[in-house]
Amino acid sequence: MGLIDDLERFRSVGEDRREDLEEFVAYGDLSASDADSVRIPIKIVDLPEFAYDKRDQGGVGQGDAEVGQPVDAEPQPGDEEGDPGDEGGEHEYYEMDPEEFAQELDEELGLDLDPKGKQVVEEVEGDYTDVARAGPDSTLDFERMFTEGLKRKLATEFDESFLREICTVEGITVDDVFEWAREEHVPISYGTVVTLHDEVASERGRWESIAEVEANVERTPVRQRIRQEGLDHVPYRREDERYRFPEVIEERERNVVVVNIRDVSGSMRQNKRELVERVFTPLDWYLQGKYDTAEFVYIAHDAEAWEVEREEFFGIRSGGGTKISSAYELAEELLESYPYSEWNRYVFAAGDSENSSNDTEQAVIPMMNAIDANLHAYVETQPSGNAINATHAEELETHFGEDAEDVAVAYVGGPEDVSDAIYDVLSTEGESDA
Amino acid sequence: MSKADHYEARRQARELEGPVAAARALAERLGLEPVPVNYWIVDHDEMNELIAYDGFQTRYPHWRWGMKYDRQRKQDRYTGGKAFEIVNNDSPANAFLQESNGLADQKAVITHVEAHADFFANNQWFGLFPGEEGGAAAMLERHATRIAEIADDPEIDREAVESWIDTVLTLDDTIDQQRAFQRQLGEDGEGAEEAIDLSEQLAELDVSDEVRGEVFDDDWLDDQTEDEQIDRDAPEADVLAFLREHGMAYDESAERAVEFEDWQREILELLRAEAYYFAAQRMTKVMNEGWAAYWESIMMAGETFADVDEFLTYADHMAKVLASPGLNPYALGLELWTYVENRTNRREVLERLLAVEGVGWRNLDETVDWDEVRDALEPPEAIAAAGATDLDAVAALPDHLVDRDEIRAARDGAFDPSDASWRLLSTDGMARRHYSLVRPEHRQFLEDVSRDELEEIARYVFDGSRYDSVTEALADVDYAAGWNRMFEIRESHNDVTFLDAFLTAEFVDANDYFTYEYSRAAEEHRVASTDPEDVKRKLLLQFTNLGKPTITVEDGNYGNRNELLLGHQFNGVALDLEQAERVLERTFELWGRPVNLATIVKEVDDHDVEVARRRSREPEPEEAGLLLRYDGSEIERRDLPWSEVEDLAADDVDYDTKPEDWLQ
Repeated sequence: MGLIDDLERFRSVGEDRREDLEEFVAYGDLSASDADSVRIPIKIVDLPEFAYDKRDQGGVGQGDAEVGQPVDAEPQPGDEEGDPGDEGGEHEYYEMDPEEFAQELDEELGLDLDPKGKQVVEEVEGDYTDVARAGPDSTLDFERMFTEGLKRKLATEFDESFLREICTVEGITVDDVFEWAREEHVPISYGTVVTLHDEVASERGRWESIAEVEANVERTPVRQRIRQEGLDHVPYRREDERYRFPEVIEERERNVVVVNIRDVSGSMRQNKRELVERVFTPLDWYLQGKYDTAEFVYIAHDAEAWEVEREEFFGIRSGGGTKISSAYELAEELLESYPYSEWNRYVFAAGDSENSSNDTEQAVIPMMNAIDANLHAYVETQPSGNAINATHAEELETHFGEDAEDVAVAYVGGPEDVSDAIYDVLSTEGESDA
Repeated sequence: MSKADHYEARRQARELEGPVAAARALAERLGLEPVPVNYWIVDHDEMNELIAYDGFQTRYPHWRWGMKYDRQRKQDRYTGGKAFEIVNNDSPANAFLQESNGLADQKAVITHVEAHADFFANNQWFGLFPGEEGGAAAMLERHATRIAEIADDPEIDREAVESWIDTVLTLDDTIDQQRAFQRQLGEDGEGAEEAIDLSEQLAELDVSDEVRGEVFDDDWLDDQTEDEQIDRDAPEADVLAFLREHGMAYDESAERAVEFEDWQREILELLRAEAYYFAAQRMTKVMNEGWAAYWESIMMAGETFADVDEFLTYADHMAKVLASPGLNPYALGLELWTYVENRTNRREVLERLLAVEGVGWRNLDETVDWDEVRDALEPPEAIAAAGATDLDAVAALPDHLVDRDEIRAARDGAFDPSDASWRLLSTDGMARRHYSLVRPEHRQFLEDVSRDELEEIARYVFDGSRYDSVTEALADVDYAAGWNRMFEIRESHNDVTFLDAFLTAEFVDANDYFTYEYSRAAEEHRVASTDPEDVKRKLLLQFTNLGKPTITVEDGNYGNRNELLLGHQFNGVALDLEQAERVLERTFELWGRPVNLATIVKEVDDHDVEVARRRSREPEPEEAGLLLRYDGSEIERRDLPWSEVEDLAADDVDYDTKPEDWLQ
């Protein structure tokens, strides 16, 4: 019981009520979404109630008004004290990112594309695990420097008191001591031995021999001494300085470039344009969700082709005739910045299959062959059945064959065909990669 | 909430102790009688949570609260719309103040809350819901605990509980909110006591077996119990109660109706009780918010409860609240209350004036100098405004206007009269100070009286020559008349009766209200009428029966097949059929057998629309009977002969405000 539970229940209820994805793709409002987040409308309140027909109810407004003048129906009196159901018509959105969208669409349509296309090697910065002899102070590996210093100290320290005792052996010379030290690997210079030897001159004769000293005087190992007396000085040396820098990791990334081509000629009326948008938009989301990096190129064409921004792409309408090959020429040119060796390429075109005579056969098909791509697709949007001269899609199909590995042709007559078309296009690629 | 936050809340709470006590004293001085209020300081998240849960801290587990919270939070974040307070009706009432409010806002909110508390205590519609042990918060918490227990019961499917709640909620507007709530399935078993076993009583009567056999045979006994159970003839407005008594659940595996589980009946009853509890609030929204806004403004602006530097902030926020678009209950309520006050005061003054020798409704304008009248009505200089106060001048006023004890206390230096000049006045004195007809914004109100109204007032003046002069007449004016009338109205009215009684032509004109209707021919909404009567009817439609169509139980044995027949009491406005069908599907869960809804639809065929459009007319729809039936698997729509829906059709109401020639 409590807010957290209720919120969680709401989320799961919301998820249940989310519009079926297929339904959303075909009929839903795509405009609330953008490239990075797909917003699926959910009805926020699903509890029905007995209510008046909104239109028949009419209402009351405030302001200067002439009878007969059109008005925007005002919202009904709000009931902020929580009247379940008052929110009847409103929508809330369930947001998913393109990855989730792709995954959901896979489940929904029974697809499971694993993009197997090219993988591009890229160097990126990894952890700061490599070292160099120079670098900014902040990356100085102090720990290492300290360790080195400590090692040096351990290496140069010696048990001075023991050495003094050696120097007090009866009749021992500086050379004897130094020789002994060499044998014992005591890091000491000849000069130091001379000094020590001088200092204890008066005490000489305390011991008979070195062997006697060794037998009677306890030697303190350096480690122990440091522990007892503390580490008063660590000899740092510039040569020990090491600076960390990031390791270079070679990462394999999947890049995709999607070319969306759309016929914007006079024959492409509103309903055809909408169908194109319905097919292309989910395709874009899907591919974006499947690849690490996705770039989109939008080409509009009538008898000529030009590149446009996504925002304009689905709305443009021009008056001219149609020459599909113009778009492929531009596509080829634009794709030069996305070498096929490094990029997965998808070239999607859509239109009503109308094309200027012989263009398909003589220009488009050769271009499609010439442009390397994982997949070429043509989506015919022809809501009212085929027009006589609308043969582009058919010609492609005849030429490449229905089972072509890298060419898909799909027909969309209405929103109900959208998900099939998406399936056709995407599954073609799946086969080709298998 | 972190410790630091708690500290801040506590600091604020201490700071507000003074204003809270002062506001209470001020409210009482103005004649209000608020129930005790507990004030709480809450932060943003807590406020959003409270709003989501309708102002209470613990409610039964349900996703809807989560949804409301989520929305509230987004609204909070994106629209900057911030809730200053939320107050719930309980005894004592609980008011939650937003921690981030500035002191000016907190003071305003406190005065607002005090007025709400007065409304809760005195409005009879709040009295329909009997006081629950421990108050409303405790009741809702008991319900919450009980429903959570049911949901946690391993024997009961949690999903089923949630779905059951959803189902009951779809019908929780179909109660009889005009009637006092009776908890028939009492937690203490009241219901069981009431169910008198007739055969046992007969046994106690000690009549002979022969007599019993002759008169009180088994058939008779069955009849009696039957009658008690289902009154199959009278429409029942409390659909939920009817379903609780006679409803059945549907067992999918057995494919037949089965008795409710105990928990099902119990949840239904708990939710029904809550629907009744919240109904009072919903029925009086305009009045209640207007009432609070009115007194808030009297206290904050009129009594300088806001310090000078706080006043601008207050005024700014108040203006924003009142200006929020759509049909705003604050603005509408405030306007109506102000209108009630002005109108009552005007009537009082006019009655006096018309009783002056030689003054009649025909010659009022010529015989009376309105400026003089207004001057005479001005409050005495000494108490005209809050603020700097001359104690001696106040002390010189007549007894009924002042509080002698407080004047003495002020002289002794107990408080500075300039800070709280209201303490020196009696309630009468307050009424005098805040007398509406002399406020600058209402100066014209008195002389703007319509001929009709004047004539009507004149008709009730018994003695037309009671006073010799205007001055003499005005000396008798009861300055508290407006407030007293307001107090009466806040006791007995709800939004529907309030609007019905006080939304006058004058008011509609002054506020530019109009109605709009949907035109089938033009396929858009058009302004339909500016006639005050039309506006009023349209407005009333939004408030009558909480703005929902009236649905009653018509028959519990429809077609002699134990089917349920609901009737839509048609008032000229059609039902949203799509939604109604979905409600029926849910209702099936509560009846276990097929459910029907009889309604009336307005049909227009496309041809008529086309013809009407060409002639710039609106097509005339034809009313026809329609039956929606859901049998557990599918919805069926069937035409009903007019004779079967005739009694559902109301002929005395008409909410259609379309004029004949509005499209031309």
